[in-house]
Amino acid sequence: MNIGKSLILLIVAAVLTYPLVPQSSDYIIHVMTLAMVYMILAMGLNIVPGFCGLLDLGYVGFYGIGAYTAGLLTIHYDMSFWVIVPLAALNGALWGALLGAPTLRLTGDYFAIVTFGFSELVVLFLTNEIWLTRGPLGLPGIQPITVNLTWLNEAWYFQFYDKTPNFYVVALLVGLVFFIMRRMEDSRLGRAWYAIREDPLAAASCGVNILNYKVIAFAISAAIGAVGGCFYARWSMFLSPDMFKFWESFLVLCMVVLGGLGNIKGALLGAVILVCLGEVLREVLTSLGLPPETRFMAYGLIMVLIMRFKPSGFFPAIASSGRSNPLLLDLQKRLAARNAPKDEARDAAA
Amino acid sequence: MTPLLEIDGISKRFGGLLALTDVSFNVIEGEILGLIGPNGAGKTTMFNCIAGVYKPTSGNLVFTRDEKSLRINGRKPEKMTELGIARTFQNIRLFSALTVLDNVRIARHCRTTSNFFRSVLRTRFQRAEEKEIVDASMRWLDFVGLGHHALADASSLSYGDQRRLEIARALATEPKLLLLDEPAAGMNPRETRMLVDLIHAILDAGVSVMLIEHDMKLVMKICKRLVVLDHGTLIAEGGPKEVRENPQVIEAYLGRGAAHA
Ligand SMILES: Nc1ncnc2c1ncn2[C@@H]1O[C@H](COP(=O)(O)OP(=O)(O)OP(=O)(O)O)[C@@H](O)[C@H]1O
Ligand SMILES: [Mg+2]
Repeated sequence: MNIGKSLILLIVAAVLTYPLVPQSSDYIIHVMTLAMVYMILAMGLNIVPGFCGLLDLGYVGFYGIGAYTAGLLTIHYDMSFWVIVPLAALNGALWGALLGAPTLRLTGDYFAIVTFGFSELVVLFLTNEIWLTRGPLGLPGIQPITVNLTWLNEAWYFQFYDKTPNFYVVALLVGLVFFIMRRMEDSRLGRAWYAIREDPLAAASCGVNILNYKVIAFAISAAIGAVGGCFYARWSMFLSPDMFKFWESFLVLCMVVLGGLGNIKGALLGAVILVCLGEVLREVLTSLGLPPETRFMAYGLIMVLIMRFKPSGFFPAIASSGRSNPLLLDLQKRLAARNAPKDEARDAAA
Repeated sequence: MTPLLEIDGISKRFGGLLALTDVSFNVIEGEILGLIGPNGAGKTTMFNCIAGVYKPTSGNLVFTRDEKSLRINGRKPEKMTELGIARTFQNIRLFSALTVLDNVRIARHCRTTSNFFRSVLRTRFQRAEEKEIVDASMRWLDFVGLGHHALADASSLSYGDQRRLEIARALATEPKLLLLDEPAAGMNPRETRMLVDLIHAILDAGVSVMLIEHDMKLVMKICKRLVVLDHGTLIAEGGPKEVRENPQVIEAYLGRGAAHA
């Protein structure tokens, strides 16, 4: 247990220091940054199918909304990335709530179809509203992330054209989202979601307003997706509608399912595995003369295999309110103390 | 004295089937009221109407709390819970992937308020509330005798314990009226005896109880008053002895002609 924990910490530390190594390869930093973008997306998506038990096939729609929000605000208003992140999150949450409020009454499959339709709608909007998005031409020339500390020192104005600073920005965002997820997981909010996932009728009988909590889940999930998109826009410095096709939703869903529905760390691992696999497949498939899009068949195959052999993913421990919570640790001790005299009595009798 | 719950001419129709026809009776504060009747009589449907799962086709439900009478038919289940009506289910509906403690913690939802921001920032208020939730949940788990299983998975409990956990979960919402749908089903004699004590303790805690039960010995023992349904209509109401000797009741349970045999 403790060895496992130290090992994970060691790996995280190694990954985080890698870009500082002089011989580090730009390509590997790029892949790691991409993996972290997907970590944000996978954690965000996890809320809806993982915590709440609703299938969401349109997650990429919110990613796209966040990306274009960031892109347009940067191009037209030259806003700072640090102002855009909360704005994009709010915009994502707004659309999440607008889509969720009327449609979350639908059950299971119908809801999944609506979310699918929504993400297609986002792509159509981005393609056709040329006055705003330039349509299929895309949005080039988005300024990279800047940090402006001139109020501290005249010389402290940084523009992140380089791979390394972007890597640290996205690592920061991953940390932030992870922190928020962990806090939500072990709270009244998270428990209300698990109740809905486990048994909606019993949840309602416990006083949970099901529709409200589904809308909240959807909005928060959308906000996190938008934050991911926001970074992506400033990092890639170019956006086009076909970056936000349905396949991206499917890919993120694969990551969540691979890691184990409802498990935050699982989502992180799922993102790493599938991003790396994507890179490998791109090489292998092109060398075989196949178009790179065929990699989605591999993802599909993975989904089928997981469903068949490991339906609960790599980390089957379904999110249940954090065992590391001091209140629960304390309770565990008290229970042990309470049971101990009984055991002694039994031992004495034997 | 105004009754705790007044059921006034409730009917419930499912398509062509009248599951309840113009049923009226009262639940008085501080009593254990038995609701009995043969299979398919409409007992669970009655509970679902009271708990807000079904909206009655016609009739009124009037709930009195703190001297205020409210017409409550058609309110949502979570509103009923908030008002002080809690229930258990005939076929156990626990949150089975969660721990015993979490099952009860969720029931504190309607008595607590921490939202997203408080949860993420973990404010002092939120931490105090979380502690209060754990303490209250442990109190109710100890009340039904499941305290030592608090951190076990709900699905690992025995059948009788699962039924008791459902009762603890319902009690944790701090109800004035508790609806128990066949709590003794599947219990062994020892568990049933414990259940009798538990129901009396619930009453002593100031919660009125309405009980659906097929175990007639149990019902006759703990209910001072019974209501009998058959094919969705109320056929008898009164003390256990009265009801037992009512020819209509005998006929409903044993078939036509039995009353004269
Ligand atoms: N949702 C529903 N839709 C259609 N019919 C229903 C529904 N719920 C109950 N019924 C019907 O209403 C009638 C009464 O059912 P109910 O479950 O209330 O009986 P009960 O008295 O609880 O019986 P039991 O002792 O078997 O639990 C039955 O004929 C049942 O088939
Ligand atoms: Mg029933």
